[in-house]
Amino acid sequence: MEFRDYYKILGVERSAAAEQIKTAYRRLARKFHPDVSKEPNAEARFKEVQEAYEVLKDPEKRAAYDQLGSEWKSGQQFRPPPDWGSGFEFGGAPPGGARRRGGSGRTGAAMDDGAFEEEGFSDFFSSLFGGGSPFRTAGRRGGRDHHARMDLTLEQAFHGATSTLELKRPELKPDGTVEMRTRTVRVTIPAGMSDGQLIRLAGQGEPGTEGGRAGDLYLEAHILPHALYQLDGRDVTLTLPVAPWEAALGASVTVPTLGGAVDMHIPAGAQSGQKLRLRGRGLPGQPPGDEYVQLKVVLPPASSPQAKSLYEQMRGELGFNPRADFPG
Amino acid sequence: MSEMTHLLSGELIGERDWITVTEICRLCRIDVTAVRELAELGVVDPRGSPAGEWEFPAAALPRLRVVGRLMRDLGVNVSGAALAAELLESQRELERQIRRLERLLGETR
Repeated sequence: MEFRDYYKILGVERSAAAEQIKTAYRRLARKFHPDVSKEPNAEARFKEVQEAYEVLKDPEKRAAYDQLGSEWKSGQQFRPPPDWGSGFEFGGAPPGGARRRGGSGRTGAAMDDGAFEEEGFSDFFSSLFGGGSPFRTAGRRGGRDHHARMDLTLEQAFHGATSTLELKRPELKPDGTVEMRTRTVRVTIPAGMSDGQLIRLAGQGEPGTEGGRAGDLYLEAHILPHALYQLDGRDVTLTLPVAPWEAALGASVTVPTLGGAVDMHIPAGAQSGQKLRLRGRGLPGQPPGDEYVQLKVVLPPASSPQAKSLYEQMRGELGFNPRADFPG
Repeated sequence: MSEMTHLLSGELIGERDWITVTEICRLCRIDVTAVRELAELGVVDPRGSPAGEWEFPAAALPRLRVVGRLMRDLGVNVSGAALAAELLESQRELERQIRRLERLLGETR
């Protein structure tokens, strides 16, 4: 696996005070948060920053990380030292590993402890600080839920799909070292998932320890932009180029929809920008979405003598003034 | 090291479902106090009473999950996260409108 320079990721000195680390994290988290950021690779950058902060904000983890030495550079091949974690005491409240159980008399919601989200973190992090490492709680414990984002094309969302996911899971080997195991999982995506909708895969989250129940894996659909359609909830909008005479005289035209082409009637006297609705042709659901077809009148170029003469004939015979409403 | 497992089919959390307050907390990784505050702010409309037995429309999940992420990752409070989530939604809607208009005007992007 590759070494990660957490100080460099946060842009702070190795000697930085806790407060400086916090400030650096806040600034970068704000810049790269995937819900907010327009930066390219925002999600990957954000995970990196989160991972670095997870280690450097915690005095125990930071001290252990510092012990690896300052000679390492990001990207260098790295193996955890055999005595990793020795010399540290992991009593009391384990960093990131504690589970909050409804002790405050609230609901019994199985909350994890918030900021700590291991999924999406690097192998480097997981092998040093992940499940099975000395930095995680021993004893019987239920696994946490994992949350992951799943990119879908609009077609996949419409038809349903089978998506292949790679899930990483740390595993404790007999000699006490931790190894990352990658599981490839194929998941059936039902037809009609909308943006932000969730699928629950029971028991596919973090494994429990010593017989504890495994957490669930939640996949959040993220529908990618489409060249032709724009998605808004379950509705899609398509811009349909039409000839002036199709708009003026009415026409029957073939229109693409996610489920295949359909014939649509354009009423006479239609204008550019007008929207027509194809009921139920959006994403499937209860109720299904609609497809909106927005007309865009495209003028034929006056590039041939014949086309020119037709335009001249219109000018002469229509008496049409598009600026008739203008004052003066 | 890699292994192949069988085909999994998950449980879709339907948009027309109603979800208990406990489940909302789990799915959005926020606590009950935050959910109550979000209801007070009108970010989400629960049904039923008392508050411990509230149910929420699953259609509100994407927004509540954004609120949860903003609170956790950026350290903003409930009303700040709710405000940001609503502004992000209206920003998305404006961006959609701009793209629609650009397509209508023949600009390509």
